[in-house]
Amino acid sequence: MAQNDYMDLHRKRHGQRLDHQERMRKKKAREAHNHSKRAQKSLGLKGKMISKKNYSEKALMKKTLKMHEESSSRRRTDEDVQEGAVPAYLLDRENTSRAKVLSNTIKQKRKEKAGKWEVPLPKVRPVAEDEMFRVIRSGKRKIKQWKRMVTKATFVGPGFTRKPPKYERFIRPSGLRFTKAHVTHPELKCTFCLEIIGIKKNPNGPMYTSLGVMTRGTIIEVNVSELGLVTPAGKVVWGKYAQVTNNPENDGCINAVLLV
Amino acid sequence: MVQYNFKRITVVPNGKAFIDIILSRTQRQTPTVVHKGYKINRLRSFYMRKVKYTQTNFHEKLSAIIDEFPRLDQIHPFYGDLLHVLYNKDHYKLALGQVNTARNLISKIAKDYVKLLKYGDSLYRCKCLKVAALGRMCTVVKRITPSLAYLEQIRQHMARLPSIDPNTRTVLICGYPNVGKSSFMNKITRADVDVQPYAFTTKSLFVGHTDYKYLRYQVIDTPGILDRPFEDRNIIEMCSITALAHLRAAVLFFLDISGSCGYTIAQQAALFHSIKSLFMNKPLVIVCNKTDLMPMENISEEDRNLVEEMKAEAMKTAMGASEEAVLLKMSTLTDEGVMSVKNAACERLLDQRVEAKMKSKKINDHLNRFHVALPKPRDNIERLPCIPQVVLEARAKEAAEMEKRKTEKDLEEENGGAGVYSASLRKHYILKHEEWKDDIIPEILDGHNVADFIDPDILVRLEELEREEEQRQAEAEEEDIEMDGEELTEEQKEQLAAIRKKKAVLIQEHRLKKTVAQNRSTVPRKFDKERKYTTKRMGRELSAMGMDPSSAVNRARSKSRGRKRDRSEDGGNDAMDVDDDQQTNKKQRVRSKSRSMSISRSQSRPPAHEAVPGDGFKDSTQKKAAITISHKSHKKRDKNARRGEADRVIPTLRPKHLFSGKRGKGKTDRR
Repeated sequence: MAQNDYMDLHRKRHGQRLDHQERMRKKKAREAHNHSKRAQKSLGLKGKMISKKNYSEKALMKKTLKMHEESSSRRRTDEDVQEGAVPAYLLDRENTSRAKVLSNTIKQKRKEKAGKWEVPLPKVRPVAEDEMFRVIRSGKRKIKQWKRMVTKATFVGPGFTRKPPKYERFIRPSGLRFTKAHVTHPELKCTFCLEIIGIKKNPNGPMYTSLGVMTRGTIIEVNVSELGLVTPAGKVVWGKYAQVTNNPENDGCINAVLLV
Repeated sequence: MVQYNFKRITVVPNGKAFIDIILSRTQRQTPTVVHKGYKINRLRSFYMRKVKYTQTNFHEKLSAIIDEFPRLDQIHPFYGDLLHVLYNKDHYKLALGQVNTARNLISKIAKDYVKLLKYGDSLYRCKCLKVAALGRMCTVVKRITPSLAYLEQIRQHMARLPSIDPNTRTVLICGYPNVGKSSFMNKITRADVDVQPYAFTTKSLFVGHTDYKYLRYQVIDTPGILDRPFEDRNIIEMCSITALAHLRAAVLFFLDISGSCGYTIAQQAALFHSIKSLFMNKPLVIVCNKTDLMPMENISEEDRNLVEEMKAEAMKTAMGASEEAVLLKMSTLTDEGVMSVKNAACERLLDQRVEAKMKSKKINDHLNRFHVALPKPRDNIERLPCIPQVVLEARAKEAAEMEKRKTEKDLEEENGGAGVYSASLRKHYILKHEEWKDDIIPEILDGHNVADFIDPDILVRLEELEREEEQRQAEAEEEDIEMDGEELTEEQKEQLAAIRKKKAVLIQEHRLKKTVAQNRSTVPRKFDKERKYTTKRMGRELSAMGMDPSSAVNRARSKSRGRKRDRSEDGGNDAMDVDDDQQTNKKQRVRSKSRSMSISRSQSRPPAHEAVPGDGFKDSTQKKAAITISHKSHKKRDKNARRGEADRVIPTLRPKHLFSGKRGKGKTDRR
């Protein structure tokens, strides 16, 4: 016992009160009541915080209770039949779903040509032009209205230089330019902060693709050399596509899912 | 001089509480109302303010943590090492480093989001950005939760560390476990260290204070040290080693010569030799403890040699101290030699410190300021202090008195001790005669409490009562006379009542008149609506006052009906018929005819219409005409009940209450 642990020292010398255990028990039993009293009385932000905490605790408790119930009660498992499952007597047969076996690379190429991928976000809300661009008035009297400023997150290549401002139709403000994206690998279930290489396609139109605008649903190409992915041929993959899953201009960062 | 007080460090909240504190602070301290319709600049600055404010708060709080926790390489090496031993320097630095990183990250996040907010073009977008910014800041803090928890624990422990001043005069007690270090500590200080008959009772450093030569010494009790390699020592032993290594103190090495601590003298000597490098340049005293169990003379030859060896070792660093001051015997059980050990240690420490000070460069700056004045002896006669014989006697007397006085306690012991002796409560009574003290008064006498009937100043009271009675009697006599008038008959009583009532009414009326006196216009009597001034009324009132009203009434009537024709020209005017001067008589007669006989007016005043010199009229006719004109001029005014020319009051012509609202069934002038 250290010198200044006076409470411990006192306890050691004189012991606890005779009714200490009883008092502790009562205090503990009363705690719930006190808590509820406070929860009911508190207003505003404090009240919100308390109720949120209470709610989360309650939900957690219910969940655990349910889990315990599940483990104790016996139920028949009635799982769905897996796709492609065959009865035992057909196991030795080979069924071919495709007449011609295509190599992986050819498949990829075809898909690219068709311009279709199986993507996590197949449909996105179309973005109107006046939402995408803001009109900038120019000229001495501010009557010319042919300039536009992009209001969404954009990507410009590393060697980008602006056109002379006099002729620049679309302004991509430097504050909204992004070079990195948080990419989630759907199978590894982990996220990496990767560099963006380029914009593959913006669903809202080819103009946005060429401008490098990133909205929700945009396919971007990211540098995955850090991940150490390898092609079947044994080469290190360094560029892969990913789809943006958030609204970068609202969140201040780009979240994407890797397309594998 | 740096003060080592680790109690001042503020509480480090855990991660969740930290976030709650900051976010609720943002909510409370920044504006909360915003609307879509505001100018975009206003919206942006509203949310920017929130982000920046949160960041500054995080920054302040985290900076406070970083600044308040001591840097281990900047504090005294004793504390630096002690903290390292107790909390592990690497872990400590890592935790603080993480806090620092979090602070930088948060600043960066805030900077980025403020930049993005500049491009926000709607309330929704600004709000989303704010939420994202705050969320990311909170995540950063959430990640350092374990570090914060660790720092909080350390803070609590540090606050309880004994407050050791590494620079002051210090006596350090060390030795094997269970050799009586703590018991010695308890003997010389008030530290109250736990003493138990097993090893390692003391697990940390304890500090106490003692006095020697009017100076305060800090005594540090250390946990026991075992003789083993440095690497194997545990935290408890390392505390002692740290103290030994870094504190410039007098070291007391405790030796249990009886061997009852479980270690032989040989083992203890081995420890001494293994840590003797720590005793360099410090006054070292070897204390042989527990001499009550085994006197110093009884120990074996080998052990004596070992002790002598240690003594010789200690003498090397003794710096001119005598042998008696290096090896001392003591028994904490019997208190034998305890004080001499303390004194020896303190003395040597003091000597060493003074010597060190004298050697230092600074001393020259101070020495020239010192001067001890000693008067030169003028001859060889010795002059002792002289105390007069009277004073000495007085002192002796006082002392004797002081001794002579017996306290209750003494009395108690003389008369059979506690429980037998009962102190007399009456002893100190202050009474007129001494012998009254022991008088017995029964508490209850004839069924009454005696105390109820005791009155110390009864005589004075009696006198007062008598005086009062006399006074009362005198008053009663006086009242008898007055009482006679109060015996009234029924009739008289009624009259009295009537009089009083009337008086009250009059007072009331007068008051009413007084209140409105300023605004009341003198209104001609003919506008008297209340019929207040009627003859009948006058008659009634006069008779009520007990007067005969008939003459007054008659007179009034005669006046109002105009003067009757005279019976005779001189009827009742005999006095005027004196024929001494025809002229005046005639004149008088004429005048008397022209005026009412009833009017009596002072003869000295001329009638109103008669011109008086100085009046400004030529003759009476002119004056008459003027009077007529004047009457005419205010005739109309009088009719309208105006007070004067200036009275132009326009009453409310169309009173609101009569011209608004619906008319009921009643009259048109009532609503």
